[in-house]
Amino acid sequence: MSESTSRGAAAKAHAEADVAGAAFHTRIDTALGDGKLRQALSMTTGRLATGRATAFAALPYAEALRVAAQRIRAHTIAHLDRYLVEFTTNAERAGCRIHWAETAADAARMVVEIARASGVSLAVKSKSMLSEEIELNSALESAGIRVVETDLGEFVVQLAGDRPSHIIAPIVHRRREDVAALFREKLGATDEEVATIPAMTAFARKTLRDQFVGAGMGVSGVNLAVADTGSLCLVTNEGNGRLTTTLPRVHVALLGLERLVPTSADLSVVLQLLARSATGQAMPVYTNVLTGPRRRGSAADAGGGEPDGPDQLHIVIVDNGRTRLLGSELAEILYCVRCGACLNVCPVYRQIGGHAYGGVYPGPVGSVVMPGLEGLGAWSELPQASSLCGACRDVCPVRIDLPRLLLKLRAQAVRQSLGPAWLRLGMRIFAAVATRPAVYRHVGNLVGRIGAAVAPDGWLTRLPGPLAAWTQSRDFPAPAAKSFTQSWRPKRGAERTRR
Amino acid sequence: MTNSRDRVLGAVRDALLRAELPHSSADRPFYAVPPEATGAEDPIEQFAQALVALAGEVHHAHSLATISDTIIGIARASGASSYLSWNEDAIECAGLVDTLTSRGLHRMAYDLPFDQHGRDERIRVLAQVGIGVTGADAALADSGAIVLASGPGRGRLASLLPPVHIAVVKRDRIFPSLPALLVARPDLVGAGSNLVAIAGPSRTADIEMTLTHGVHGPKHVHVILIP
Repeated sequence: MSESTSRGAAAKAHAEADVAGAAFHTRIDTALGDGKLRQALSMTTGRLATGRATAFAALPYAEALRVAAQRIRAHTIAHLDRYLVEFTTNAERAGCRIHWAETAADAARMVVEIARASGVSLAVKSKSMLSEEIELNSALESAGIRVVETDLGEFVVQLAGDRPSHIIAPIVHRRREDVAALFREKLGATDEEVATIPAMTAFARKTLRDQFVGAGMGVSGVNLAVADTGSLCLVTNEGNGRLTTTLPRVHVALLGLERLVPTSADLSVVLQLLARSATGQAMPVYTNVLTGPRRRGSAADAGGGEPDGPDQLHIVIVDNGRTRLLGSELAEILYCVRCGACLNVCPVYRQIGGHAYGGVYPGPVGSVVMPGLEGLGAWSELPQASSLCGACRDVCPVRIDLPRLLLKLRAQAVRQSLGPAWLRLGMRIFAAVATRPAVYRHVGNLVGRIGAAVAPDGWLTRLPGPLAAWTQSRDFPAPAAKSFTQSWRPKRGAERTRR
Repeated sequence: MTNSRDRVLGAVRDALLRAELPHSSADRPFYAVPPEATGAEDPIEQFAQALVALAGEVHHAHSLATISDTIIGIARASGASSYLSWNEDAIECAGLVDTLTSRGLHRMAYDLPFDQHGRDERIRVLAQVGIGVTGADAALADSGAIVLASGPGRGRLASLLPPVHIAVVKRDRIFPSLPALLVARPDLVGAGSNLVAIAGPSRTADIEMTLTHGVHGPKHVHVILIP
């Protein structure tokens, strides 16, 4: 890279970071100003976090399971090439067709091609964050293929032209009245059909059943794939995952290339933790393990095949930045199994919700995954949106050290000088002061006196100049009236006298 | 010329040379189910309690007559006159189909045709059936889940499409947990195109965290425990 292009790239990254930073703060302000959103967030994350804690308390050997799950995922990622080869070989042997997508656009194009080859005009989808990542719905629709989300939350998101705001609870930001209005307006539901939450659920079941029956293709994500059997594991509570992978003639599964485990025994270890971490359930209602398409009977035993299931099973293995993540100091985030537990305990997510993060994946995990997949440029603010309290690490079923990764990203941002200019200047001034004891003492005394004068209650609600950005969404503790050295000196003097 | 498979695998291999992967090991880690975690005092009771907590229902039956009594009772309560089911030998309950037929409950044959049109037509008909009856390969005490492998005569839709699912489960097939099952029966994964663990009726809490049953799958799950 020549110096001028590298300078050009740096300037572009700065511009991107500035725009993204401003947008991020606007989204945070919007979220913090929305009282109903904050109430809903507090209720949902609180319940999910409590559910998780209760489920783990009741699980014997929970810590041993977490350690085992972490080692299984770490080992798999460390030998990912080998397990990808083993998985695809076995999946093909079971009758699956494998497609390798380097980018989001490749993946979306492949799904469209599969649909076209089978003459599909309607596709049903079960919830998949990866499909959000590759923007599959718009790709299918611009190819003239109608696609219907079947997870109740995602169905509402699709009707509203919205985006999911939580990995597990996509419409945590919407109230029942919103859903009722949407069903009435977009689907012509009657007052009776939207009178209660069970009525709305029944209405959605009826509406979506018709779509399931007529769909030529089902699109799903994959929670984990098993290398030694070539199987796909998909968990859902509603059953839409099973319908999507059983009723239509063609099933297309989107698999992030890191989502493997070596054996079904390993799968069972991770499954002991997945639903408990996500919702506090011992197991999801449906743990669906798929090994190839429907099996036809051989000519010898006429009618001896399976009675149902898809005729074709396509697996689209997606990279889209995952190898970039793998080859970095953030590779540990690839252990993630997307349970969403870190969102529910994060003091930042609990206040601002998923949309404020701006990416497909919100919360602590998203703050690592988004810059990891796409580079820090547009996402340099996300790693700052953390108190580094470590609650995310404590609940992670595969024990990812999220604070460590967030710190790595902050360090990267500093190395790439992506932070605001005043911050770099400020840090330089701080370094100059802190390395000169006499200056440090005087400045400390001065700051303490100012603090006592302007914030008698101990909290600064507005800092001056560029520091105002910090107090935009939080208060700053006022500096102590007496500096540490001021308190320490007399004590040290007294000690010396005693000796 | 390289294809997309080689390019992706090449990128993975390149990346692995630089990857920072804490806690990874060269050998596959082995998780042994702790022996204390494998035996509940009374796995049948534990299973039943877990399933009831999920809004499932548990019945006990000792003979063909009591099994069919239970099924007929559930069918009457839900107003069903036909059912979708596994083959009789797959349920491991000889004489069940004849007994149910003689009592007015008819089995719907359901192998899906391979052509799209015939398939859609058949699914439309099957979607109207009120009850599904299956056996089960295992049940899990710690979660109240039942485990079903697909195969010839063992369709997936019987446990999925009708609003009521009845599973006939042998008591000695209750395992403590999923890891315990898959260590004992690794053959179950891949035995058919589908292995499913079902923990109670279909549910959602997407709207305001309000638990609601029967959103896509069955609203009622009955397990009949037999010797």
